[in-house]
Order: sequence, then structure tokens, then C-alpha cells
Amino acid sequence: MRYLDGDLTPHEQESFKQELLANPQLQKRLDEVQPVHTYLKGKARLEHPSKNFTQKVMEGLSSTPIRTALSYKRGLLLFVGTLLASAIALVLLSSGVFDAPTTPLVVDAPIQNELINVPSLRIPFNGKIIVNGIIFLNLGLALILLDRTILRPLFQRRAEVGY
Amino acid sequence: MITPQDEYSLIDKILAGDQQIYSQLVDRYKSYAFTIAFKILENRAEAEEAAQDSFIKAYHYLRKFNRQSKFSTWLYRIVFNTAISYKRKSKPGFQRIETAIVEYSERSDKQLERDDKQLFVGKAMNSLNETDRLAIQLFYIQEFSLEEVAEMMGQNLNTIKVRIHRARQRLGDELNRILKQEALTL
Repeated sequence: MRYLDGDLTPHEQESFKQELLANPQLQKRLDEVQPVHTYLKGKARLEHPSKNFTQKVMEGLSSTPIRTALSYKRGLLLFVGTLLASAIALVLLSSGVFDAPTTPLVVDAPIQNELINVPSLRIPFNGKIIVNGIIFLNLGLALILLDRTILRPLFQRRAEVGY
Repeated sequence: MITPQDEYSLIDKILAGDQQIYSQLVDRYKSYAFTIAFKILENRAEAEEAAQDSFIKAYHYLRKFNRQSKFSTWLYRIVFNTAISYKRKSKPGFQRIETAIVEYSERSDKQLERDDKQLFVGKAMNSLNETDRLAIQLFYIQEFSLEEVAEMMGQNLNTIKVRIHRARQRLGDELNRILKQEALTL
């Protein structure tokens, strides 16, 4: 490879050529790698952008860089808030506030008299399931906030200015 | 010839509010930035957009440039990362018509054989993983030093050396395999 890159001294080059004559395997390998070298050298040229490249960049300088909709501070506050809400719900849940197996939801009929007897509507519901659902949604929201407002901008900044 | 010190003084002026001076830096590095983006994206329009975006990002983050490396090296890293993120976002499309056209010309047997080999090397390039392919392509551009390639790709110098060596070996093997296969189909 150093021979192809032209990194050999004249003396090293001469002895490599001698070795090529004596070693057909080495010659074969060189024949395989030589076109690769030629191809890459041929492709290795500087490409030039369009003529108005600089002008377009200069016009773009006044535009503000794209930021996420939520600021870092606001996102962090929301993230903490959602975590706090989930924690409170979990504490309430573990202390047995929502332990009643079925709490009927009673909806009384708006008009009740001797002539019309509308039975009140009883919808059974489990408070525990609803609270669990709310906690689950809250945690999902917290993860989205963590990604959008903290992690993504952090990695974006790291990728753009890697020092 | 402009020294890094001259460049730092240009940067100081830009940071002091002279935005127009930035065009000097853009003019100086636009071809390098565009070449890096083009090697990654393999599409001129996208490469141009990525390179422009990189210059704009570099301008906005100029205050964070810590001057421990050359401005060019810092810029190339931004271009590299921007082009990589463009590549991730863009979906693979159809081959552009201008590159898909197969040219016909009167060529000698020797020329034909040489051109075929070049075509097969191009095919063999696809067998490399993206990092190796980029490392070897950037290494062959004389304007970029091995150190710059390593820094731009965010990799250790020795790792880049190994990658380039391995890529050339692999390309040689792949070319050999393709040529054997071609010979069998004749």
C-alpha cells in the first residue's frame, strides 16, 4: 500500500520492484489493488458548488436556527410536573384511596314524580383502572418531554459542535 | 496563504458583528465543504443544501469554536455531521437519469478492459460499509490530511488508518471476485 501511495523511498521502491519480479503472488495482489487505487485517485477531485452558494449562505445567516417548540427550561418544568403528578397518583394508589372494587356512578333522572318513574342510571367503574391509565399516560408524556426538550436538543448540539 | 492566526482575527471581527466578513470564510471553504457533503450524499442538490446549512450552523455556533483546532477542521466536522443527518432523513430514491445513462463510444480493447475494471471497482465500493467507504474516499482527496479525516469523522487516527487499509484490501478482493464471476458468464 505504501508503494501505491508513493510513500516508499527510492531504495525501498527499487527493492519492492525486485520482489515483484521474484514473487508472482505479490504481483497478482498488486494487479488486484492497482485498479482500486486508480479508481479512487480518479474520483478524488474537489467538487465545486453553484455560483450563488456564498450568496445563499449569507442570506440564510439572518434566519434564526431551528429550535424545538418548547424551551429547555419550560420543558424541564413540565417534565418534573408530570413526574410529580404520577408520583402523587402512585402514592394515593398505594395508600388504598382507590381500592373500592366497584364504585357505582349514579346518574339521577332529572324528572321524578309519581307518574314517571325513571330508574336512576348506575354505571359501575373501577377507580383504580382509571388512575392507572392516567399514570400510564403521564409517564408517556414525561418520556416524550424528556426526548423533545432535553435529550434531542442535547444530542443535536453535541452533533453540530462536537468540541 | 492565510495562517490560522489570520483566520482567528477574521472570526473575531465576525463575532464583533461584521457579518459580511463571513463570506470570506465561506468562499475559502465552500468547495471542501461541498465535496465532503457530496461524498456522503451522492446528490449535488442535497449536498449543496447540506453544505449551506453547515455554514449557517457554523456561523451561529461560532462563539463556541474553542480555537484548539483549525477552523477548517471544526467546520468539516459540522459538514460531516450535517450531511450524515441529511442522509438519514432522505429516503433512497431512483437513480438519477444523468448518472444512469450508459455512454457509448469507440474504445480500444485495452481501454475497454480498463474502463470495465473501473466500473467493477465502482460496484465493489458498494460492498464496503459506509464508514470505510467514506474514510477511503476522503483520504484520497489530496486536500484532506489523514488527521483531518480522522477528526472530521470523529475517530481515532489509528482506527482511520486501519479502516483505509482494510477497505483497500477488501476492494481488491471484491474486484477479483467480480472479475472471476464476469469471466464465468462469458
